[in-house]
Amino acid sequence: MGSDEMTVRTLPSGKLKWTWSSVFETGWGARVYPYLMVMPALVVVLGVVVYPVFSGIASAFYDVTLKTLNTGGVIFVGLRNFERVFADPVFLQASTNTLVWVVLNVVAQLVLGLALALLLHRAMPGIGFFRSGILVPWVVPSVVAVLTWRWMYDPSVGIANELLIRLGIIDDYHPWLGDTATSLYAVTVESIWKGTPFVMLLLLAALQLVPRSIIEAASMDGASGWRKLWYVILPQIRVSFAIAAVLTFILTVNNFNAIWLMTEGGPLNSSEILFTLAYKYGFKRFDLGMASAVATMLFVGLVIATTVYLKLIQAREGD
Amino acid sequence: MHMANVHHRQANKNAMPRIRRGFQLPKPARKALIYLTLWIAFVWSVFPFYWMIATSLRAREEIFQRPPSLVPHAVSLQNYVDLLVGAQFWRFALNSLILTLSVTVVSVLISVTAGYAMARHRFKGSVMLPLFMLYGQMFPPVLLLIPFYVQLRFLGWLDSLYGLIPVYLSYMLPLCVWLMRGFFSQVPFSLEDAARMDGCTRWQAFWKVILPMARPGIVAVATWVMIHTWNEFLYASTFILSEKKRTLPLGLSGLIGQYTTDWGVLMAGGVITAAPILLVFFFLQKHLVSGVGGGAVKG
Repeated sequence: MGSDEMTVRTLPSGKLKWTWSSVFETGWGARVYPYLMVMPALVVVLGVVVYPVFSGIASAFYDVTLKTLNTGGVIFVGLRNFERVFADPVFLQASTNTLVWVVLNVVAQLVLGLALALLLHRAMPGIGFFRSGILVPWVVPSVVAVLTWRWMYDPSVGIANELLIRLGIIDDYHPWLGDTATSLYAVTVESIWKGTPFVMLLLLAALQLVPRSIIEAASMDGASGWRKLWYVILPQIRVSFAIAAVLTFILTVNNFNAIWLMTEGGPLNSSEILFTLAYKYGFKRFDLGMASAVATMLFVGLVIATTVYLKLIQAREGD
Repeated sequence: MHMANVHHRQANKNAMPRIRRGFQLPKPARKALIYLTLWIAFVWSVFPFYWMIATSLRAREEIFQRPPSLVPHAVSLQNYVDLLVGAQFWRFALNSLILTLSVTVVSVLISVTAGYAMARHRFKGSVMLPLFMLYGQMFPPVLLLIPFYVQLRFLGWLDSLYGLIPVYLSYMLPLCVWLMRGFFSQVPFSLEDAARMDGCTRWQAFWKVILPMARPGIVAVATWVMIHTWNEFLYASTFILSEKKRTLPLGLSGLIGQYTTDWGVLMAGGVITAAPILLVFFFLQKHLVSGVGGGAVKG
């Protein structure tokens, strides 16, 4: 597309040669042009994101079940759905489990992600090889990864049991996913394995933006490794670190596949989190009102996190 | 380019007199420790993937042998044969392919103009809209599941691959627009002005000058959508009811039996499902990492 082709379009009078898109050049057409370009995306997002969100929150206050949907008798019930959720003892357990699940995942992924980013952020022979390998969990499709871990945890022939025995950590094969004491933690290990590389990527990108001169100056002042990390490097990447923390939080709360495909929240709700509980209310009991009540509560938690996330990005743009 | 910098830094450090320095291991020991840690991280990350491939290549008797051996005794392709001779697997793969291509084409077409307009033009809402898009990405799928279910049921689109397209757009489109805007804001717009001086209309300048320049960004967004659609499980498993409309991830999870599971065939299916994603990733690694990682932290 050389410029010759374009100059042809200018008439000798200096005016544009008319094409259908000329209407956007002046006046009214020029003003609506940007809106027209944004319109399709806006319409779709309003239709498939905004409307469903409000509709989802609304259904937390209605009696929505398969029966009422079929008969058209969906009625307003106020806070009844919330009362029924709070009266369910599983809700308390799912809330506690969600807390454990989120804290363990976020802390472990951030600590390991930072450690890996620091390790990989150096020029050493073979570093590209290690980086590619460490990214593998991030690349493997989530369902495939979860099913592979489920197979590794197999109580009778799983490789996890065999390796742990050979390392002298356990004495006999253990049903990691089938024992109420270990199911949540076993799933957490998979989730940490899967999520850490993304944190590592975010932090590695941030580390590469830290000016060399700052680290050099610290080294010249004789700062040792840990002090340099704590006082020099971490403050430099604090915004990215916080962003990684909030993203990990959101991804963990919304991580359905790991729990659903390994334990379905069991045994005896020992690995139930709020997401899987809402899912069971909605699509096992078909009590969509109760499901929406749990989902709405989760949503409020996530909105708070999202607000923090956006504030951080704005702070970064202001830097 | 930062390799050179690092060498430079290390050279500097070695030249420094070592004063007020805490205890440090001698250099070779430190280096050995770093490599040891890297190897542990590497094995930890790659092992499950290795185990999937190793399982898929074993004969059935060997899979259920206790204790399991780390390396297969004999390589067998029987699991792949069992998987691929069944018509089901091809059906699932075709469903996944149709869905992935449709969602990708639609989201790229819609997000490319929106991302451009937001990056280039000042108009009412040109600041708020991108933030709105980012918010759109944060809505938990569990909140959207229920209204989607009610709506799809109402429209008679439950158990339909095409019914999944709008559902997936809700999951992909907001971030696509956000990422596209990020890519377009890096394109030098002086070129667009030059093209318009030469007599292009705005649309022609966008179509012929800006779009080709933004191609790497568009490829990154398209790949991102493809990967996520290909892998999606939650919506598909909720809204697809009949077996012949399953996508690959659903088909895989359907191989889990209540009492026994044929893990060899399942792992073979896992390898085949993961293969296109891995190929795409290793060809486009640079684009994707900077696209997704950069898009998430950059404005």
